[in-house]
Amino acid sequence: MEKSKAKILVIDDDPDFIDAVSPILKSAMYDVVTAPNPEQGKKKVLEEKPDLILLDIMMDSLFDGFSLCHQIKTDKEFESVKDTPIVHISAVKEMTGSRFQFKGEDQGMCGPDDYIDKPVKAADLLSRIERLLKG
Amino acid sequence: MEEDKPLILIIDDEESMRDSCSLILAREKLATLTADNGALGIRTAQESKPDLCLIDLKIPGLSGFEVLDQIKAIDPHIICIVITGYATVESAVEAMRRGAYDFLPKPFTPEELRIIIRRGLERRRLFLEAESLRREKKLMEENFITLVSHQLRSPLVAIAQYFEVILGGIVKDENTKAEMLSKAKNRVEGLLDLINDWLDIARMNAGQIIDNLKPFSITSLLQQQMEFYTPSAEEKGIHLTLDPPEGSDRVRGDSESLEQVFSNLISNAIKYNVKGGSIRLHSRGEETWIAVTVSDTGMGIPEEHLPYLFDQFYRVKRSESEKQKGSGLGLSIALKIVEAHKGRIEVSSTPGKGSTFAVYLPKAVG
Repeated sequence: MEKSKAKILVIDDDPDFIDAVSPILKSAMYDVVTAPNPEQGKKKVLEEKPDLILLDIMMDSLFDGFSLCHQIKTDKEFESVKDTPIVHISAVKEMTGSRFQFKGEDQGMCGPDDYIDKPVKAADLLSRIERLLKG
Repeated sequence: MEEDKPLILIIDDEESMRDSCSLILAREKLATLTADNGALGIRTAQESKPDLCLIDLKIPGLSGFEVLDQIKAIDPHIICIVITGYATVESAVEAMRRGAYDFLPKPFTPEELRIIIRRGLERRRLFLEAESLRREKKLMEENFITLVSHQLRSPLVAIAQYFEVILGGIVKDENTKAEMLSKAKNRVEGLLDLINDWLDIARMNAGQIIDNLKPFSITSLLQQQMEFYTPSAEEKGIHLTLDPPEGSDRVRGDSESLEQVFSNLISNAIKYNVKGGSIRLHSRGEETWIAVTVSDTGMGIPEEHLPYLFDQFYRVKRSESEKQKGSGLGLSIALKIVEAHKGRIEVSSTPGKGSTFAVYLPKAVG
């Protein structure tokens, strides 16, 4: 049975990460679309209506990933896509005291549906995605 | 404390005292609360977090000193002023020993009350300001650590991610694998550059530079730079020229660190230049300065980026296709070095045409 092709949008400012992670997603028969910054990310979300978004936290400024996540989940502009599951990916680990998830929620911001640390293990990433897509 | 109005708690069993103090302070646009006994005073302090407390030493029930102790226990930074009808030296000393900011002997005039309250609130304001600065600094430090951590981690996670897909057999095509390894190699080089730049910043000691200031000819330094960079410039079809000096070319500086400054400016001029373009090095001796300029015919820098150009890690965001080489620290290091020389750097640029970096260094005397 052919898996129905879900579409995944990867928003990350590191082109190498995108190049490395796309084969993982494609190996699981997902369609991959990408955006290198928040502005393009917003456009692609509305244009492509992906089934899931992989969003890097530390983009241009320290909070870009979080603001974008919050916007997609709460802004009127993104009403049509607000239920798209979002997975935060980041190279910054808890150890440095900067898992922004906590500070973000403190400021009343909407958090993502899951978090994953870079570098991602293929099996781990794919199982999390599967779980979120199942609903 | 409310944003604008300091809050004062008056603990005194005499109604007339409470009323008159409240009135005087209300005229000073201060918010007041009152309590007629020690226990109530302590509870009120706990709930309302006043900025300043006026405590009558002779209140029934708990002694004034005990109230002072308890309020200090709630928040050691509440300003406490004790009012005493027994203006003996001992009670004043005891009060101060227990953390009172000051004491006010009865009877006192409205003016005396105003003066002491004002002083106390000023002290409180300074404390709160220092606290908020401390918090801001901590936040900035945490962010700084996060920023550095991110800068160091990013290349490594990208490399590790490539390994993950190659070693995991997810990518099978040999060409794709070779491409990925080559990209990983670029990230390794970038990371090494970053670490070197970080070490430069860490090692750079303004004091060392100041100790090493000597007169020398900037032309000879620029000539060495020219010799070093001409091969890589020619590879890109860029023409690198050094003008003969205009006027004096003797600067008072530390040649080793200045080499770093011009090396950074010239390599940027090459990096951001167009094929067939040119770079011109020029020096001009003025009365107390030597002005050294590095001009290029490159892509230029949009005006909105100019104020931030010398910030650590600042990179002008261009097209996504451009490979991010370099640490983003070069210019901030250059600025630090030039400032240690008591000089300055200025940049002017026209997008599409080119940029000119001007370094002003102190002229050597004699």
